[in-house]
Amino acid sequence: MSDLSLCLEAGQVLGLLGVNGAGKSTTLAMVAGALRPDRGSIRIQGQDFLEHPELAGQALGWLPEAAPLWPELTVREHLDAHGRLRGLSGTRLTEARDGVLERLELKTLSRRLAGVLSQGQRQRLGLACALLHRPALLVLDEPANALDPVQVVALRTLLRELAAGGTAVILSTHQLAEVTAVCDRVAILHEGVLRYDGALGADQHAALEQTFFDIAMHGRAQAA
Amino acid sequence: MTLLAVTRLELRRLFVRPLGWIVAALALAELGWRFALLLQIFLLNQVKLAALPDGPGYTDLVAVRLYSSFITGSPLPFGMIELALLLVPLLTMTTLASERSAGTLPLLFSTGLSASRILLGKYLAVLIWLALWLLLALAIPASLAHGVTLDWGKLAAATLGTFLGLAVLGAIGVACSAFASHPAVAAVAALMISLALNCINLGAQLAGINSGFINWLAMSTHQETLLRGLVSSADVVWFLLAIAVALALGVQRLAADKERG
Repeated sequence: MSDLSLCLEAGQVLGLLGVNGAGKSTTLAMVAGALRPDRGSIRIQGQDFLEHPELAGQALGWLPEAAPLWPELTVREHLDAHGRLRGLSGTRLTEARDGVLERLELKTLSRRLAGVLSQGQRQRLGLACALLHRPALLVLDEPANALDPVQVVALRTLLRELAAGGTAVILSTHQLAEVTAVCDRVAILHEGVLRYDGALGADQHAALEQTFFDIAMHGRAQAA
Repeated sequence: MTLLAVTRLELRRLFVRPLGWIVAALALAELGWRFALLLQIFLLNQVKLAALPDGPGYTDLVAVRLYSSFITGSPLPFGMIELALLLVPLLTMTTLASERSAGTLPLLFSTGLSASRILLGKYLAVLIWLALWLLLALAIPASLAHGVTLDWGKLAAATLGTFLGLAVLGAIGVACSAFASHPAVAAVAALMISLALNCINLGAQLAGINSGFINWLAMSTHQETLLRGLVSSADVVWFLLAIAVALALGVQRLAADKERG
């Protein structure tokens, strides 16, 4: 990645697009605090969390690609572990856990081991873990992977609700339709460089598609 | 404190996996067998031993010898330390290597935890598990305490030596797990390093080398003193130093993971 600069307001949903290897997952891993950039700064609510990594634990929720889980733990144990790692305990943890179990329709699966969940269920559990502590910034890497069409619609609704509640969301995806359906801003990466960053209005699917393919094929957006 | 959250998570993972229970059950069964044989030998020689003015008793010949074969001098089943050389790598192999292979290690980093806290949290869980194992093993000779004269001081020194030995093996195992990308590789590496550290002086002696430094380097040198009931601060410092070196190397490797991705 080089010279990447992005600023996200509370309640904004940013779609991060790019072909495979463009640097989307690397960018998200750096934003999530899992990977340290060589230089630069990452600020959440005005505070540099490279200097204060504990801030990331409280203000940020991250769903990496393929929702990594501990196969030997149950759904409930996952949520408890994530909650404790992010500083929740007691009734706060119980309420938060029950809330996301309900919201993501995981209640009936709460005693099931993560290792036997279907890919779609794993994805929902990963999302529940990311949402548990009500982060100010939600970082999602291909969240619609393996979800069925009904769950995709439910995910879009959830993201819009979170945005309406003031949560900022960064959503990385290959699906342009996903971006036009939920995002109000789009950024396109190509070979580790930010090539496009702009607001996304209604009925702009065709224009976005054109811009994306121009960047993917020629490395830059063509003049209209 | 998030370090304790890591410990709790790791303990949960250790307790729900069958491997931990199987390792503990087999080890205790083997130690029970060793105890029965040691007790049988002791009872056979009891009359002769009673005639000696300062003859060894139950503590020397049964309780302490349950911990180690080094001072048994007879072909009995493994003592606890020899068992630990084989079993602790199996217990620790998944601590970090499986986090890396399952992709959950970046998730831990994203919670704002430093590499040292993650590693120490994991190590603490392993240490708790090993301490419980040691307590159960200690219960075997202590179960006869009402019928024999136990030298509690000597037994405490031997227990401390065994615990410190287990703590070193646990630290080596966790460090190897931090370096490896697959649990099996971590287990093999930890086994080789642990065996080398434990027996380096014996190997050197067989090769005709009798070096004070090599003797100092070997874990068995320091453990034997404690097993004989002598608590020396120099020996305790050796154990603490070995733990610190292993954990520091593990932290270095884990921190590099965050830098390099």
